[in-house]
Amino acid sequence: MSKESQLRALVNQKLIEMGERERLKELLRARLIECGWKDQLKAHCKDVIREKDSEHVTVEDLVAEITPKGRALVPDSVKKELLQRIRAFLAQHATL
Amino acid sequence: SNRSAARMKDRPLLRKGFYAAAGRGAPLDVLSVMSPAGCSHVSGFKVDNWKQNLRVIYQCFVWSGTAETRRRKAKSCICHMCGAHLSRLHSCLYCVYFGCFTKKHIHEHAKNKRHNLAIDLLYGGIYCFVCQDYIYDKDMEQIAKEEQRKFFFFFFLFSPLSPGVGEKYSTWEPTKRELELLRHNPKRRKITTNCTIGLRGLINLGNTCFMNCIVQALTHTPLLRDFFLSDRHKCEMQSNSCLVCEMSQLFQEFYSGHRYPHIPFRLLHLVWTHARHLAGYEQQDAHEFLIAALDVLHRHCDDNGKKANNPNHCNCIIDQIFTGGLQSDVTCQVCHGVSTTIDPFWDISLDLPGSSTPFWPLSPGSDGSVVNGESHQSGSTTLTDCLRRFTRPEHLGSSAKIKCGGCHSYQESTKQLTMKKLPIVACFHLKRFEHSAKLRRKITTYVSFPLELDMTPFMASSKESRMNGQYQQPLDTLNNDNKYSLFAVVNHQGTLESGHYTSFIRQHKDQWFKCDDAIITKASIKDVLDSEGYLLFYHKQFLEYE
Repeated sequence: MSKESQLRALVNQKLIEMGERERLKELLRARLIECGWKDQLKAHCKDVIREKDSEHVTVEDLVAEITPKGRALVPDSVKKELLQRIRAFLAQHATL
Repeated sequence: SNRSAARMKDRPLLRKGFYAAAGRGAPLDVLSVMSPAGCSHVSGFKVDNWKQNLRVIYQCFVWSGTAETRRRKAKSCICHMCGAHLSRLHSCLYCVYFGCFTKKHIHEHAKNKRHNLAIDLLYGGIYCFVCQDYIYDKDMEQIAKEEQRKFFFFFFLFSPLSPGVGEKYSTWEPTKRELELLRHNPKRRKITTNCTIGLRGLINLGNTCFMNCIVQALTHTPLLRDFFLSDRHKCEMQSNSCLVCEMSQLFQEFYSGHRYPHIPFRLLHLVWTHARHLAGYEQQDAHEFLIAALDVLHRHCDDNGKKANNPNHCNCIIDQIFTGGLQSDVTCQVCHGVSTTIDPFWDISLDLPGSSTPFWPLSPGSDGSVVNGESHQSGSTTLTDCLRRFTRPEHLGSSAKIKCGGCHSYQESTKQLTMKKLPIVACFHLKRFEHSAKLRRKITTYVSFPLELDMTPFMASSKESRMNGQYQQPLDTLNNDNKYSLFAVVNHQGTLESGHYTSFIRQHKDQWFKCDDAIITKASIKDVLDSEGYLLFYHKQFLEYE
């Protein structure tokens, strides 16, 4: 594993241990609902299902189709907010 | 097994079999698999003490609620093949094995060990490698829901979260009664981008355009619409004269899909009954009607009799949506003591240049920064200019001395208004009608107003920051709380003696329509922003989205 991925693993571990990961998840969920991202993507899913053969769509198919759009649609303000939170958390638990 | 039996019992999706033996089962319309019958492959798992085992897996690796389980999860939840901790990690349900989904490491394990079930550690979904999809088994879903609820209960109880993150968001599931209603009323209305739902003309009953345009604005106020369409008004009034009930009826009419104009005779009658000063067939002021209507609606929303006891602490829908707090600071010029009061408001009335009250100048030190996308050009007044004037410190003069609590005598003072609490819907009233002793006229000065408005500079909190020396307040881009979007404009054409009211309303995202009594026409954003503007309705942005 590269140094970077090692560091990532450590950060992730710390986030899970302190319960911060769950808090961030809930914060993100709330923000994405507020800004309409969830509804936009839900509509996109419905479109994808309609286009494909609706009998044979799997979760995998949907994930593959909507991930790029989903990533692109996250507002910058939400990314900034989460980044700030993570930075603050790391600053607090600096013994890494 | 024969195909029809498989169709009835198993309902797996048709997939190329993962094992040589699999590949049976009939293709099934996704829509008819409404009840979670799961797949037949879980039967191998559902033996012995499987329920408890599954619970433990959820508690330890999916929804880890205690410090101990979190520590274990942090340490052990990594892919046994590549060490990755993200990549959609899954846990095998038959043995202790974690593998990432994205790189198919868990798939390899499933194939090698013939362990055909795994659980997604992020969302708790159960994946069947034979069906090659996530499956929904009723019993397993039940356990998942319980464990998730347990986790979230303690999660929200013990951890402080950011404002705005409240209870766990759960999707709507219809009750038996609701299913019945849906079955008995099979007609469905589809809302596409071009549909005209919510648009309806209103017949003019004799100079009632002042009422019609306010009705258009109210029926297109998103939160108010949601309140009434969800049937949230429970009437406590004995008589038939509840204005809130009539409002509810009005929403039903507007969203009925009928395209012919509605005749609001009952509404007019109720208004005449409850606001006598507006009765009669002469033209009234739309702004007066708005305030009177909000007042009657507020009074009729009984809110369990709380209003009778404490009219200032009402939590009715009118207060929730329209009531803001206006802070008034009176500063004694001698001892500089400040006396502060906060009064509720439903609208902000703004003086215009050209009226008999002096409009300019603003304080000479006013920044030339661009506020709300408008830079001040000489000659054209903006809504922001009016708001700046409204919130500027005003010297009260020697003829209006205030009794100062600090000096214990009458002193000259300055007064300043700022917004303490912003309402969800902010209504700005441009004072175009001058009714002074000698003068009755209409001020037709053009005031430009924006589609999006940031109220931050006019907040009491911003004023405090300025006083503490932080003059140039950097616009806090992360704080969306003070940002507003325009959704309705009421205009008056003509003179004080004979005039006509029309309105522009925003129906869908950026679709605007002009409402001229019974005639509704499509309008462009330019039409709206070029109009004179008398009443401007803005809605907080973070509650409504594009």
